[in-house]
Amino acid sequence: MGLESVKVMIADDSMFARKKLINFISSLGVAEVLEAADGEEAVEKYKASKPNVVFMDIVMPKKTGIEAVKEIIEFDPAAKVIMASSVGTQNHLRDAIMAGASDFIQKPISNDQIQKILENTAKEMK
Amino acid sequence: MFAQFFGSFLLHKGLVTAADLTQAFEEKKNTRMRLGVLAINAGLMTSEQVEHVNVTQQSVDKRFGDLCVELGYLTDSDVERLLSEQPTDYLLLGQTLVNSGVMSNADFESAIIEYKNENSLSNDDISGNQSDKLSKLISGFYHFDTAANARIYTEYTTLLFKDIIRFIGDDFTPLGSSIIHELEAPHIVKQAVTGAYNSITCVAADTAEYMAFAERFAKEEFTEVDDFVDATVGEFMNVNNGLFTVNESNEHGIELQLDPQEIHTDDKIVFENPAFLIPVSFSFGEVNFVISNG
Repeated sequence: MGLESVKVMIADDSMFARKKLINFISSLGVAEVLEAADGEEAVEKYKASKPNVVFMDIVMPKKTGIEAVKEIIEFDPAAKVIMASSVGTQNHLRDAIMAGASDFIQKPISNDQIQKILENTAKEMK
Repeated sequence: MFAQFFGSFLLHKGLVTAADLTQAFEEKKNTRMRLGVLAINAGLMTSEQVEHVNVTQQSVDKRFGDLCVELGYLTDSDVERLLSEQPTDYLLLGQTLVNSGVMSNADFESAIIEYKNENSLSNDDISGNQSDKLSKLISGFYHFDTAANARIYTEYTTLLFKDIIRFIGDDFTPLGSSIIHELEAPHIVKQAVTGAYNSITCVAADTAEYMAFAERFAKEEFTEVDDFVDATVGEFMNVNNGLFTVNESNEHGIELQLDPQEIHTDDKIVFENPAFLIPVSFSFGEVNFVISNG
């Protein structure tokens, strides 16, 4: 499948980070880009829309990204959640993977990284 | 980054003005290094010898390098080596200031010798961005050695300047720091770093400078300070502080967390511990950075 079939969710409390990611991902012609400003909203929107891939920040209000990933994986063990955080310490990395995250990328995130992840997601959907 | 601190040195010595530096940082992208400045920097020629070759060149149709060799100032291999070296940023800055007439070759010669001596820097040290020399330069410039947690202040500030160059631009001059106990500004973004130790970090500026800083980071134009502009400056701080926590974890085994950023508009922040105010003069104006550790 191509990128036009991929549904993406961006969960980040930073309006700046969300806007930059949404603008770039939308320009690639994906099916839909959902956004969530905190961990709680991310879990709710995941359950309602089941996006193919989620980019999830860690430090967020209401529910952290790690807590949100745990709930999303409980709901859908096949969920693909990429942690995208400025705090890529070994502890955070371990917590994220143990919570069920598929990968971890350190901010600032390059457009190339995002595009590769989305293309891989599309391939996996075949 | 040596260029910015060399610029600050020249400003402090009264050899250039802030406006001269702003213009030079803009123009240095198009500056081509000349052999004279390269030879002075390498300690192979004095400014008088360079001037002598310049004057001689006016009456003889020969290249500068050939004349240097003829007059016995340089060997062929000196010329070849100097011209083949990648020009460093501080040399480009110096060359730009010489080209525009702000400094003479003699001014450059005395300044670069004094700058290197004051900071115990060799040509090799500043030909790359050697981290240990850079940290030493920054620690000395800001007198961090007087602080209890000198390593943390030095490494945080070194990373901050690397990130400023990476995300905002290299057209800035670091100004001398001061110790503060409170910070009042039209716009302040504050982020606490917690864990093995606690730090408070801030970015503060007046409205025009705050917007200009955000514009550089977002690569967008803004007409007023709104939530998005605050989020943009906040994200710069978050990325910088995030990279700092990663370095602390990887290099020192120190685990830290970041609190969400706080936006303060027309407000005053009082610090529990003394804080270092680090003012930076950009071509668009001054932005202050603060770190308080304890």
